[in-house]
Parts: sequence; structure tokens; C-alpha cells
Amino acid sequence: MQPKLIVSLTLVMLIVVSGLLAPWLAPHDPNLVDLSHKLQSPSFSYPLGTDQLGRCLFSRILYGTRVSLSLAMVIVLASLGVGLVIGCLSGYAGGWVDHLFMRASDAVLAFPSLILAIALIAVWGAGWKQMAIALVIILAVYYVRFVRGLVHSIKTETYILAAKVSGTSPYRMMVRHIIPNIVPPLLVVVTLEVGWVIMDISALSFVGLGVQAPTAEWGAMINDGKSFIRSHPRLMIAPGVLIFIMVALLNLISDSFSESKGFGSPLRRKLKPRVTEH
Amino acid sequence: MSLLIANSLTKTYNNSGWFRKHSPAGKGVKDLSFVLEQGACLGILGESGAGKSTLGKIVLGLLPPDSGNITFNGIDLYQSDRKARKQWRRDIQVVFQDSYSAMNPRMSIRDIIAEPLRNYERLSALEEQKKVAELLETMGLSPQEMTKRPKQMSGGQLQRVNIARAIALKPKLIVLDEPVSSLDMVIQKQILIHLKQLKEQSGISYLFISHDSMAVHYLADQIAFMKNGEFVQLAGGSYHAHDLLG
Repeated sequence: MQPKLIVSLTLVMLIVVSGLLAPWLAPHDPNLVDLSHKLQSPSFSYPLGTDQLGRCLFSRILYGTRVSLSLAMVIVLASLGVGLVIGCLSGYAGGWVDHLFMRASDAVLAFPSLILAIALIAVWGAGWKQMAIALVIILAVYYVRFVRGLVHSIKTETYILAAKVSGTSPYRMMVRHIIPNIVPPLLVVVTLEVGWVIMDISALSFVGLGVQAPTAEWGAMINDGKSFIRSHPRLMIAPGVLIFIMVALLNLISDSFSESKGFGSPLRRKLKPRVTEH
Repeated sequence: MSLLIANSLTKTYNNSGWFRKHSPAGKGVKDLSFVLEQGACLGILGESGAGKSTLGKIVLGLLPPDSGNITFNGIDLYQSDRKARKQWRRDIQVVFQDSYSAMNPRMSIRDIIAEPLRNYERLSALEEQKKVAELLETMGLSPQEMTKRPKQMSGGQLQRVNIARAIALKPKLIVLDEPVSSLDMVIQKQILIHLKQLKEQSGISYLFISHDSMAVHYLADQIAFMKNGEFVQLAGGSYHAHDLLG
């Protein structure tokens, strides 16, 4: 294990655990409005001060961690599931099945992803559920493409041919040979993607399309604080810094995954010179 | 009845395309006919790109020929229904050249050898373990190797595992696609002796594809020389390969 991976994993775990323990760690109710304490500077009882409604900023960030991270995880896992199933099917079956899914995904990929998300949410109405569904649809298309590419590159491997000759059924081929061998490169992308999704959620919540007030969420908090950017910039800076740290850490983790041995195969193995006939 | 009858098999790879230069179709096969008897070994000898491996894939049922047909035990490989296919699929097995890449690197040796058994036979875990141990011993390996991963074994050992997997279902025909070419001379000899013993003991037929005339000569009863996808000469095993190659 690389030191980079250990440090960034520890820090991410720290953030995740503090989000999980929010009810015990938070000094105040994140949604408790107390106008007599509004816009206070950081103090002992309010570690990051209060916002324009007198809510404890630190408590809100802790609770926001839960919303941001769990939404991001759910969105990534759901789209990964869809992408894995359709991508494997498309990549392994080939032919018209492949054509059908690929043309459909072309249609979705023709739009910039965030614009498409905004358009979908505009049709369904703002809210975190609609946002999650829109992001799942868009991300799934990327995963379908990615998984299909991996399956394609693995499909011609000799051990797949050998398994075919052994009478292995297509289902077993997927579960025992193909999926285990595409997980490592997939993990690299998934880690990176969680970071991107956190940004997407924050961006959509910032423009008011995602998580709605008064729920604390990092992007929504930046939106709440934007009117006070001149007088009280910490209202925006605090959640902003946390988004930055989280995304940077996830990038670092993804980076060390892709560098570590064993990951990147089977793609890397394809590049390895083979013993051939002379 | 002959085990395998190939009748003017032809397969060409289309190399021309919109953005590709038209190149002379290489590696395909042209009008190949041959007969393989039960318990015999047909050697296919030829240089790289002669179409040997293409022929191997056609015989394995992995690559439909453009024209011609191939029958195994009287069943056409590419015209058979699901039930018939399931049967011949079991009877034709393969050993590839590159022993390491012929195995899923994430599976244990036990899982690799047991895979064909799991596909065709319902064995209990204990029976399976016994069977895999038996197969390893047949190939001169210790049953303790079962828990290893392909990465932990040498090329020679891996090729033995490949052969163990190929014979697990007691097939009638094994396609040997350059099975010893990437091994050193001593190991080559051991594996060839093993293959010969197997053939004599259990009456398996081989289609032995190689560019190594010595190896082919040792194992084959009949040798076909291939060049540019065609058989240029057919010889019995008593001929010296060197005489024919000139």
C-alpha cells in the first residue's frame, strides 16, 4: 500500500465517520433557527459561527456530509449496476444488441451531461429524488460505454476462448471470468466518479434544483451563503473547502488505485510482450 | 467411421475497409480437406501466418468457416442443434500455446481444472477435489498445487495444468495449438512424452498444430504441411520432416 493511499483513505474515513456520528458530534440542531444568534463569528459553542438564520454552521456541515456522501454513493452504485449489466450484455453479445444500446447511448451522450440533468429536472420538478434519477441515467450511459469497452478488450483473451471450449455458459462466463477481471479498472473510475458526483450534486443544489432547503447539503449551503459573500464569506468558504478536500482525496485514492500493482490488469497485461513463435 | 472429417474448409479475413488499405488476405485457410481417425494424431506443420491457428479455431467450433463443412462423429459442427452441440463441445478440447494467458489469472488451479467438470458433471465438492487431484497426478504434478494461482507456477507446470483441464472430461479429440512452443527443450520433451502416453492409454485423437517439425514428427501419425492457408503436402509419420521441408 502506498502512503498516499493510506493517508487519503484515512482522511476520507474520518469525514465519513464524522458524518455518520453527526447526531452525537454536532453541538446544535442543524435546522434550529435562532435569529438572536444570527451571523455570529466562530466561538466555543459555534465552532464555525452561525448563518443568517442563526443555525450552527458546523452542525450543518456535519449533517450535510451525510446527505452529500450518501447521495453520491447511491447514485454511483445504481448507475454502476445498470452500466455493468447493459455493458456486459452489449460487449459480450455484440451484433444488433450492441448496436441498439450503443446508438441509444450516443443519443444521451450527444448532450452535455449537466445540461441534460438540468433539462430532466426541469421536466420532473426540482428535488433530490429527481436529481438522483437524472444523474443515474446520465452516469449509467458512461458506465455502459466503459464496461462495454473493457468487455470487448477481454473477450478475445485466450482464457475466455479456453473457457468457451470447456463448455462454460455465457452467464458463468460473465460472473466467473469477465466481471472479476474488469473490477480493478472499474474501481479506479468509480472512485473518481464519486468525487465528480459530489460536485454535480453540489452544483445542482447550488442552483436550487437538487436538495431543497432547509436540508443541509454542501452545495445548497454555498447557495444559502452567497448573499453574504462580502460580509460573511465563511458561509460559503466552509462548505466549499470541504467539497474541495473530499473531491481531491477521492482523486488521490483513484490515482493510487491505478498505480498499484494488480490494478489496471487485464489492460496492462495486453501490453506485455508475449512469447511468440520464432 | 472417421472421427473428424473436414471438407474443403475456407475462411478468409476481410482486411479491406473504408480507411484500411486493401491487403492480401493473410492467415485465412483455403479449401482444406482432411480426415482424422479415432486415436490418431494429425500434425499440422507450417510457418507463422500459414493459417494453422485459424484451422484450429474452426475445428474447435469457435470460428464458422466461409464455406465447406466439418463433421465430428457424423455431426456437422456448424449446423448442429443445441443438444448435439453440447455433446461435441464436451468431446473436443484444447491446449493453447501461451499457458499463462489461457487461464483466468484470478482463479486457483483447482477452479481452473474443475471448470469443465462443473459445466458438465454434478460432482460434490469432495468428488471434485478427488478428481482434480487425480488429474494433477496424471500430469505429474502434486495435488498440493491445487490451491496455487497461475502466477505462482512455471510455464511448464501451467501447460500441464492446461492439459489436465483438457483431459478432465475425457474428450475424444484435443486440439493442441503449439502446446510446447513457449517452453524450454527439457520441458518440451517431458510434455510431449506425456501427450504420447495419454494418446496410447486412452485413445484420444490429436490435432497437433506446430511450427516445430521435431515435435510434430514425434507425436503425429500423419503430417500435413501448410502454406498460405493451403495444404501443400501430406505425409505419413515415417517420413522425415526435414526431407520434405528441404
